[in-house]
Amino acid sequence: MKFQPDIGTPIPRVDAKEKISGAAAYINDIDMPGMLYAKTLRSKMAHGKIIKRHYPTLPEGYAIIDYRHIPGTNIVKAIYEDWQIFPVDEVRYIGEPILLVVGENKDVIIDILEAIEITYEEMEPQFEWIDSVIHYHYEKKHGSRPFADANRIIEHTYETGYQEQAYIEPQGMIGYLDQDKMTLIGSIQCPYYVKNAVLMALGWENERVRVIQAHVGGAFGGKEEYPSLIACQLAMAVIQVNKPVKLIFEREEDIIASTKRHPAQIAMKAAIDSEGHIMALKVHVGIDAGAVIGLSGVVLSRAMIAATGAYTIENLDVTGDVYRTHSVPTGAFRGFGAPQMMFAIEMFMEHIARNLGKEPLAYRMAYVAKQYDLTATSGTFRDPILMQKMIEEAMKRSRYEEKALQYQNLHRYQGIGMSFFLHGCGFTGSGEATTIKAKVRLRREASGVVHILIAAVDMGQGVRTAMRKLVAHMLEVPIDQVIYDLPDTDCVPDSGPTVASRTMMIVGGLVARAAQRLGMEPQIAVEIEETYHQPSEIQWDEARMQGDAYPAYSWGVNVVEVAVDPVTGEVSVVGAWSVYDVGKAIDTLMVRGQADGGLAQGIAYGYLEVMRHHQGKIQQRNLTDYIIPTAADMPPMETYLFDNPYAYGPYGAKGVGELTLVGGAPAIAKAIEMAIKRQITKIPVTPEMIMELMTHGED
Amino acid sequence: MVEARIPHSLQEALILMSQATYTIVNGATDLLVQKRSWSGTIPKFSQPPLYIRGLKELDYICERSGMLEIGATTSLETILHHPKTPKILQHIILTMASPAIRHQATLSGNIQNASPAGDSLVGLYLLDASIVLHNRHHERVISIQDFIVDVRKTMREADELITKVVLPIDKFSQCAYTKVGPRKTDAIAKVAFGGLIDIENDRIRDIRIAFGAVYKTVLRSRKIEESLMGKDRSAVPEMKHVLLEGYASLIQPIDDQRSNRWYRKTTALNLLEAFLDSISR
Ligand SMILES: Cc1cc2nc3c(=O)[nH]c(=O)nc-3n(C[C@H](O)[C@H](O)[C@H](O)COP(=O)(O)OP(=O)(O)OC[C@H]3O[C@@H](n4cnc5c(N)ncnc54)[C@H](O)[C@@H]3O)c2cc1C
Repeated sequence: MKFQPDIGTPIPRVDAKEKISGAAAYINDIDMPGMLYAKTLRSKMAHGKIIKRHYPTLPEGYAIIDYRHIPGTNIVKAIYEDWQIFPVDEVRYIGEPILLVVGENKDVIIDILEAIEITYEEMEPQFEWIDSVIHYHYEKKHGSRPFADANRIIEHTYETGYQEQAYIEPQGMIGYLDQDKMTLIGSIQCPYYVKNAVLMALGWENERVRVIQAHVGGAFGGKEEYPSLIACQLAMAVIQVNKPVKLIFEREEDIIASTKRHPAQIAMKAAIDSEGHIMALKVHVGIDAGAVIGLSGVVLSRAMIAATGAYTIENLDVTGDVYRTHSVPTGAFRGFGAPQMMFAIEMFMEHIARNLGKEPLAYRMAYVAKQYDLTATSGTFRDPILMQKMIEEAMKRSRYEEKALQYQNLHRYQGIGMSFFLHGCGFTGSGEATTIKAKVRLRREASGVVHILIAAVDMGQGVRTAMRKLVAHMLEVPIDQVIYDLPDTDCVPDSGPTVASRTMMIVGGLVARAAQRLGMEPQIAVEIEETYHQPSEIQWDEARMQGDAYPAYSWGVNVVEVAVDPVTGEVSVVGAWSVYDVGKAIDTLMVRGQADGGLAQGIAYGYLEVMRHHQGKIQQRNLTDYIIPTAADMPPMETYLFDNPYAYGPYGAKGVGELTLVGGAPAIAKAIEMAIKRQITKIPVTPEMIMELMTHGED
Repeated sequence: MVEARIPHSLQEALILMSQATYTIVNGATDLLVQKRSWSGTIPKFSQPPLYIRGLKELDYICERSGMLEIGATTSLETILHHPKTPKILQHIILTMASPAIRHQATLSGNIQNASPAGDSLVGLYLLDASIVLHNRHHERVISIQDFIVDVRKTMREADELITKVVLPIDKFSQCAYTKVGPRKTDAIAKVAFGGLIDIENDRIRDIRIAFGAVYKTVLRSRKIEESLMGKDRSAVPEMKHVLLEGYASLIQPIDDQRSNRWYRKTTALNLLEAFLDSISR
């Protein structure tokens, strides 16, 4: 065997040159002969009945596309099927797309949009969280019964706000007919989601829809389900005008109308015994779905499953509701319910300790999960858990103890906070086996060139590099002998969506197995297929939310240090240290890229990124008002990786992408608590909130 | 039909402006944002645009007759690095936008834009800057305080161009500036505070205090400042309460998507207090 460096040794990104030089074609860079443009007319009302539509007479070559042009079902295929492609007679949120105007000249399109009159009868909008559409409940062991014997009950409610994905590249797609095949090229995360949605909307047979990924300029979950809506609308337009049509969102349009992270309210209650131990937790998770439920049920269940974070608590009673309101729909976003829950549980553990007059760190440490503990849903943590060692490492690197002692005792407005967390990798429960059923192929040509045929999307995270590296490493061939084109549903099997921290662990796992078989194959030109099979020990009861919610977990520790300006309430992040167990890094530099970006996004969720609606209208509508961090806002970040190989992941790899986001908010919130010596139950912790707490708050 | 013009001299610009009403486009870092439209379409100007950013004769910064003169097309970045630029203005420019924008943006644009959150204005008010305007026939000089009349309203007439800004050479022994924005850089001020002070032998010879983003224009009270002139620095602590109350009654911030009234006011007064404390120390 040839000498090979460890798989984790960084290599240059395969697409770096293409992207840096500007050669990579993003969707708006693509033009086609005869291509038309489309623009959306949106509801200005949070809730209203459409009484009358007045459409102007259209110049030749222009068209209005609305619900009447839908040949199939007026629903965007998603988990909970309530997302209309176009509304018929009722609008349910500000920004809801009512119709498209299509044509050649953008100025003419604008004139047409301005001439369209929609007459509404205003209806009462609902913004309170009362219309529960999905309700879940599960228990662990004795559920809430121990509360009856509690010596003391401690309760706090935690709130989190919207977060906007703020990808650099807004939503966009081009549709055209290739003979009689509907073809869509887009900035997307999940080619097959788009394909299946368009199939249902058109009512066409499988072969007649093709979806191709363009280079994607960031997604963060925002291009998971949302592009399916645009694709369905565009397909209608293409059929009508029989020409290529391009639909690209403007930034403000994207912000007001596309999905964001679910705001949450999480009520936590602990039964405490006479020695101060936690006997049981009662948790209620409420999330705001906005006007469309879509995949909110899964967001809720993922939040509920994470109810105890990185800790083991013996008895649990966990309930949750998805509320429908007349505000912009919320949806997929890196972390998928976990960032809300990690904030709540991490703060709550800290607050229980403080309420009991105990040292928070020692108190929390006593509950950190260990191998063979039962998970919140009574599954088993089968694999080794390295948290004790990881926490020690994080504390050593950040000099946590020394700083915490100093900052706690001095009123110098400095603070340091540490969060413990985990993230379930892959789809929940048996989702991988029952719904996704991932399929991958490797094809070797006579020349020896190997094609990776999967539907996974590189949206900047580096999956094209990682997969090629993986196959090249396993087959011991140079990386340029391995090809991985942008996915095209006519060429690649459905390996599932690029979501849920599943791509390297699940898809990469299948690719690695296929590569292994390919390596042993005597014939040169050959194709190998692999399909996902659930490890038999993983059992999940969907209805009762019992069993192993995930095949594996990644773990993490974040330490964040801050200084608060007592004059202005402004927070400066002065240090950030992370320790992660992602199984095995397929490329340590790429993992660090995820770590830096994820932590920045997580920290910013905790203190910087403010988005609110007023009567259904998003107030921060552009990147001047919706504040994401710049390089000047983030400190140098130190990241340490612990190897802990997972049996079914390639080289032991587990999930990375979401893990690095979920611990940022509680870490910074705790650091700010220490700095200002006030209790925090709500994020983002803005200077406005800090000033309010410092002026009126209690310790 | 709107016809865009690119004059080759100041003279030509002024002649054009005497014949029709134009929208003056300088660095365009405000204008293009304000006139943004669907990408790929041409921004809609209701009046023809007159592009002046290329006018070399207005691209200068120099000392003349004991004053600092800044031509209207000089970039903020050029001003930032000039050795004679007053400290306070340097501090302010460093908090404005990002380096790329600062190479394009101008001081005259920030002035004529007259936003309550226009950062340079705090410095210009503190320094008692003069604005020099030209039309085809006349020149006039107006103090910044008189020039800016309200939110986005100035004394400029349609045929007038701001040709330069004139500042005194720095003489202050101490200057303070804080811009409170939602993040460290590239952000619009929620509150801004600036203070200048000239102290000799513990005696306050001159003191100036200004607030940004808490009133329709920059807030500066000569009356309150006068109450401090000639005082010994040790007298400041006992005057603090009255001074804070004085400004508290003048500050009138708003609630918006970026912050709220209470925070803006509290923070503005905190910044003032910190500044006053630094005087007596
Ligand atoms: C990303 C970004 C960040 C920004 N950050 C900040 C910030 O931190 N602080 C801040 O204060 N501003 C900020 N701005 C706003 C803007 O950059 C400044 O106001 C800048 O000084 C405007 O100068 P300009 O030359 O680009 O003006 P322009 O956009 O060209 O013009 C602005 C206005 O002034 C008029 N005008 C310009 N020059 C003259 C003249 N010589 N005579 C008469 N009228 C004239 C124009 O007609 C127009 O009404 C930011 C802008 C952007 C895009």
